[in-house]
Amino acid sequence: MTRAATIAFGLALWWIATPALAQDTERGRELYDRWCAECHGTDGAGEGSAAAYMMPRPRDFTTGLYQIRTTANGELPTDADLVRVIEDGMPGTAMPGWESKFSDDEVRDLVAYIKDFSDFFELFGAPEPLEFGDRPGADAEALAEGRRLYEQIECWKCHGDRGRGDGPSAPTLQDDLDFPIRAADLSENWNFNGGGRVQDIYRRLRTGMDGTPMPSFSDLIDSGFMTDEQMWYLAAYVRSLSPPERPRVRDVIAARRVEGRVPAAADDSAWNAVPPYYVPLVGQIIEQPRWFAPGVDGLYIRALHDGATLALRVTWHDPSQSPDPDWLEWQGWVAETVQPAPEAEPTALLPDRLVVQFPTAIPTGRERPYFLMGDSRRPVYLWEWSSDAGAHEAWASGLGTRAPLDGGDLSAAAEWEAGAWTVVFQRPLAAADTATTLSFRSGVAIPIAFFAWDGSNGESGAQMAVSSWYSIYLEEPTPKTVYVSPVLAMLVTAGLGVLVVWRAQRREVEGSSQQ
Amino acid sequence: MTHVNRLRDYLRHPFWLAIALLVAAYIVFEFGVAYLPPLFGVRSAPIPDSVLLQYLITAAVGILIYVSDNEERWKRFKEPVGTLLVDPGLRWLRTALLVLVPLAVGWLTYSQVRPGVAAPVQLRSIHPAPPTSISFRGRTIRLTGLENPLRADGSIEEDYEVGKRVYYGNCLPCHGDLLDGNGHYAHGFNPPPLAFTDNGTIPQLTESFVFWRIAKGGPGLPTEGTPWNSAMPAWEPILTEDEIWAVTIFLYEQTGWTPRTWEHEGEAGAEGGHD
Repeated sequence: MTRAATIAFGLALWWIATPALAQDTERGRELYDRWCAECHGTDGAGEGSAAAYMMPRPRDFTTGLYQIRTTANGELPTDADLVRVIEDGMPGTAMPGWESKFSDDEVRDLVAYIKDFSDFFELFGAPEPLEFGDRPGADAEALAEGRRLYEQIECWKCHGDRGRGDGPSAPTLQDDLDFPIRAADLSENWNFNGGGRVQDIYRRLRTGMDGTPMPSFSDLIDSGFMTDEQMWYLAAYVRSLSPPERPRVRDVIAARRVEGRVPAAADDSAWNAVPPYYVPLVGQIIEQPRWFAPGVDGLYIRALHDGATLALRVTWHDPSQSPDPDWLEWQGWVAETVQPAPEAEPTALLPDRLVVQFPTAIPTGRERPYFLMGDSRRPVYLWEWSSDAGAHEAWASGLGTRAPLDGGDLSAAAEWEAGAWTVVFQRPLAAADTATTLSFRSGVAIPIAFFAWDGSNGESGAQMAVSSWYSIYLEEPTPKTVYVSPVLAMLVTAGLGVLVVWRAQRREVEGSSQQ
Repeated sequence: MTHVNRLRDYLRHPFWLAIALLVAAYIVFEFGVAYLPPLFGVRSAPIPDSVLLQYLITAAVGILIYVSDNEERWKRFKEPVGTLLVDPGLRWLRTALLVLVPLAVGWLTYSQVRPGVAAPVQLRSIHPAPPTSISFRGRTIRLTGLENPLRADGSIEEDYEVGKRVYYGNCLPCHGDLLDGNGHYAHGFNPPPLAFTDNGTIPQLTESFVFWRIAKGGPGLPTEGTPWNSAMPAWEPILTEDEIWAVTIFLYEQTGWTPRTWEHEGEAGAEGGHD
């Protein structure tokens, strides 16, 4: 080989290798240390200072195991997979999307640096993404086929019959690093780590979620057990377990007025007359002991009244009907994983609880009690329900100060079915004792807030899920006068219109007759 | 081409010109204005309906002034209306309008008077006036004129690291990794957590103001900051004075903003104080 040819060859090599070198791991390290290390750790092992305040935990990059990929089970992710997770984040976890923060180049540098934490990327080279076919349409028959497969390949064992993460294996699930991991609630697709669309679900079924108990089902296609089309039907069925859109959060819960009596049973068809209002809940991280791993992430609320009684139907997803000894091991794992640990003994069998909070009187000005169980100047009135003691009224002037109220007219009926609690509260609008108890009135917005505890998750006391203040509005019967003013307005407008036309035409006629 | 010519003829007529201008103004206000702030690197939001209505009324008044400014133009402007009222050939249109307009008015009135479900409006001051001094763990701290003591001694890098640890252990769930008020718990709270990335927040404040807000939180808000719905905790029992000053440094370093200093505060005060 001549010298010129050698130089040319070398230059060509350099030119080919340049795109790879353009990924600047040094710049990636700077960005990583500044923005990522506090959760994922400076060494990439997922043990940053904030890691103990999260469940699921931040990813450990040293293992090379990644949940959200387009590659086969056990394979490394592609660069595009890592870019996608960094830019879009992981719904249902503490990982945000960084698209608004980092440029494309910065994300590429970060990917290069993150891959450096594991030797596997260098050892095995660039992985090949799987071929994903096109999504066939899914009609009712396809969804039925998807349901049949859901039963046949035993998705329900972890995810439960209705997909609420309440299958018999759910309390036994740990990831590869022995951290407890929840079977996804398939009826809340906005929390799916890899995205909630049918194609996202299909990909998770094909690739599995490495490092978690979620396997890949690609081998079922390879072995001829099911077709690719059937896999799409299964994905479409799983998607159908969630509502079409993520529920919108609204400030005011409308309690519709019904004729006759309000329903007392959870399954009464009268409830279908009103839409459910979604109230998101998050961990109580304000007063000690704080709680960073709440089991309940939202409530669905329906309200009705009949002019004498208010009925409130609260539904929430909870995979365990606590107290349930089957979940004791889980409770222990959570206690070892999350900081600060639960105050309750990890072996204590705790009930599930729900509290609906109101002020003790309808506020006249802008002032409301502190949303977290009130304060000494403005106490709150509570509807308490627990799975072991039923419903009671109580009173509080700050977290940890609750005192039960004797007597009272609150009643409640509760049932747990397929991973969801439904509690129906009923109380007369008028209070027996107005000093401690709220009297409800229609036609005004009344502050309302909610707190929930999942006993099998080790929650008790201040360690709970909370909401801030919302309002409940008891609708008034529509007064007849409402129809009077529109009719009057129409008559006046029409009369004026006719008058204007009549005058213009008369003037026109007069004008022409004068000519 | 004939279409273009006809359109031009129409637009020469003051009545159709006025209509066209009003429609154009609506399109600009409704769809165009939201694109302006990003040109200057400011976050954008659609115009609220009430403001849109105000803009349109202003535009309509301007157009009316223009068409009535000239006697000839004003006469021509009124022509189509007159024709509509008397022309026998437009009888059907006339009758239709005489029915439809009252119906629309009736519907508007009904939607105004029917019982609605709405929460009371909760106006509150985002940046209420700070007290001149506060009591912190029994010690009185004078806020007026107070600068971050950590900036005078010690290295900013160390304070940043301490502050970062404090932030990730306490503030992250609500205010988020990006400091944009969009942490994984943010959706649970109303009002939403403050976005420090927003140029209307910490760059407008002195570090002593930020110290006060962190130390006293939602429960320590003065009356104009009510209605006590803020989920911002009072950190006084949990964080030490130095930790609060350190996390303040972290907020400014991580967002790249610089705090307001008291010299600037004095100048701004002369112009009417800060909001």
